[in-house]
Amino acid sequence: MIEIFYIITQILFILSIFFLPTLLVDENYYSRSLKFTFIDKLSINLIFFINILFFASILNVKLNYILYGYFFLIIILSFINLKKINFSKIKIDYLFLLLFLFIFLISIDIADQIYFSWDAKTNWIFKTLNFYQGQKIEDLSQFNFTDYPHLGSYLWSFFWKFPHGTHEYLGRIFFVFIYLLSIISFSNCLRVNVFEKVIFSILLISLSYSYAIFSGLQDVLIFSAILFFARISYLIFDKKNNLGDFALVLILIGIINILCWFKNEGVFYSFFLLFSLIAAYKFSKICKLYLILGSASIFLLRVFLFNYYNVDLNPSYFEMEKTIYLDFSLILYKLKTITLYIIIYLTQSPTYVISLPILVYLIYKYSVKNLIRFILYFFIFNFIFIYLTYMFKMTEVELLIKASMSRVIFQTSGLYFLAIIIYINNYIKLFKR
Amino acid sequence: MNKKIKKNFCILLISFLTLIFIYNQNLFRKAYNVTKLTYENRISQASGFCSEDSVGYLVYLKKKFNFNFNPAVYNYEDSVPNSNWPIYDNNLKNNSNHKILLNYPEQIELVFYPKENNFYTEKTISFGEGLSEIYFDLKVPSMNINSNLVIYTKSYGTNEKEIIYNKPFNELVKNHQRIKFPYNTLKVNSVIYKTIFLDIKNLEKNKINNIKIVIKNQFDINELEILDSYNRQCYYVK
Repeated sequence: MIEIFYIITQILFILSIFFLPTLLVDENYYSRSLKFTFIDKLSINLIFFINILFFASILNVKLNYILYGYFFLIIILSFINLKKINFSKIKIDYLFLLLFLFIFLISIDIADQIYFSWDAKTNWIFKTLNFYQGQKIEDLSQFNFTDYPHLGSYLWSFFWKFPHGTHEYLGRIFFVFIYLLSIISFSNCLRVNVFEKVIFSILLISLSYSYAIFSGLQDVLIFSAILFFARISYLIFDKKNNLGDFALVLILIGIINILCWFKNEGVFYSFFLLFSLIAAYKFSKICKLYLILGSASIFLLRVFLFNYYNVDLNPSYFEMEKTIYLDFSLILYKLKTITLYIIIYLTQSPTYVISLPILVYLIYKYSVKNLIRFILYFFIFNFIFIYLTYMFKMTEVELLIKASMSRVIFQTSGLYFLAIIIYINNYIKLFKR
Repeated sequence: MNKKIKKNFCILLISFLTLIFIYNQNLFRKAYNVTKLTYENRISQASGFCSEDSVGYLVYLKKKFNFNFNPAVYNYEDSVPNSNWPIYDNNLKNNSNHKILLNYPEQIELVFYPKENNFYTEKTISFGEGLSEIYFDLKVPSMNINSNLVIYTKSYGTNEKEIIYNKPFNELVKNHQRIKFPYNTLKVNSVIYKTIFLDIKNLEKNKINNIKIVIKNQFDINELEILDSYNRQCYYVK
């Protein structure tokens, strides 16, 4: 029974971290530009909090100091803004209730199944232990896979350590929070009432959830970051919102930064998302400049930190030299193998089975513009990336595909939910007429 | 009224979908497990007490011995990564004199089955020191072999061979007769994507069910001091 208490208090602790700052922000601050929902505000807090944790990790700030500093700041700001905080305005948010309920349900699943997948027990848990046991970022060099980013493990260790510091799975509950928040935030793109959004969210959770994604792997973080990016992109494309885009650009840069530090492939996904968005949406020159400069700084920071800590990419991932010596029979064999497995894994993933036919329908029915163009560009980049990833590997291609392709496909599946959103919103529009 | 009906219908559907999710994930049973079973019990059920990852045994040892160093952990289980995360502490020094041997086998054996032109095994070896014995499971009482015996690995999907053993083998082989075969090499340790093959030229394969090779164990339990053991499979030794 004590573990149920741990789980509930862990959830309350996570929610309080992201809920408290929303009280401090005046409603008018948002309405000047656009209406963010309560869930959106939680998402924005999450993105900025993860960015704070990232900078704390590279500056080797102790985990306790981050927590104390964060709460100290909130308490000070609360006192300063005490008059502005109006508790009577707080209403029941059904999406928030859904978030709480499903975090609890999935936490029970994690607490029971508890096991780690292969990558988690050989790599991610050791990075997590490093931070949990008070070590620094440079101490990561003693482990295998030094070129794997550390941010996901850092988050895991933070929420493992606080508030209880007992079982490691309590830290993974934070991954559940990110996953659910991204889905529920994304459901806000629908132009329906709140109950229908709840239904849509539960359906998306049912389509994408399995214990395996929380078995210590970091792919779910990539999935969620891309889903947050999709939500913000939707707001950007939404004609109703006539903001200067700058606030959203800042959030996008925050998402790109965390994407780059969850996993190595996140760097590529960031580039694809960024390029697809800039190509599909007419940003003002200044916003485009902010976006490009911001992203370039993030990529440069990554290169700088890798050089600073003498981290080299593992050459066994990509055997480019051998690939450049063209052997057509081998290339054909690899193309055939990759295509076969892509088809197999796509058909095994319910999210693709539903969203890809809808995307094809949208392209056929409407012209390729705006959001559809954004999704299409990303789709092309994404699949070229998958092919190239496995093409550059000379040996064990099939084995590597069997071990990793389903996860690679899962990582980006969230963005294609946008096709479902466009379809439903267009249908509702027609229905209302 | 219409709106109220719609709202009630939505609430009903939400409840229904949530219940389906709970039912599909078997969450009532899992909640019962979380309340009734300790963390140690659950992790032993999920990752094995002294099987598979043997996380349960590591957690048990950590509790019992309260290590002030990191002992070396060796897991003999096939195709399981060697992970010591339940007892690893970054603040402590590694001590390889203290060893935890998980899923320790009485004898490490590779069984080679006939396949096209050679014999192969899908088993992987992690803590072998060399070859020890060979014996044949024959369909006939005996057979004469006069050829080179080659053992090699090949990476999955390639034809690049790495020779482990290549020497003449001239013996009259009887069914299940153990033949001494001493040869020290660490190359016998293989990984999941490197299948081990055995090749004897001009062999009448239709007379052979399989060929077994006994591998020399890197750690002989009889030469070590046992500090704790479980089921003759998991040991804490020094």
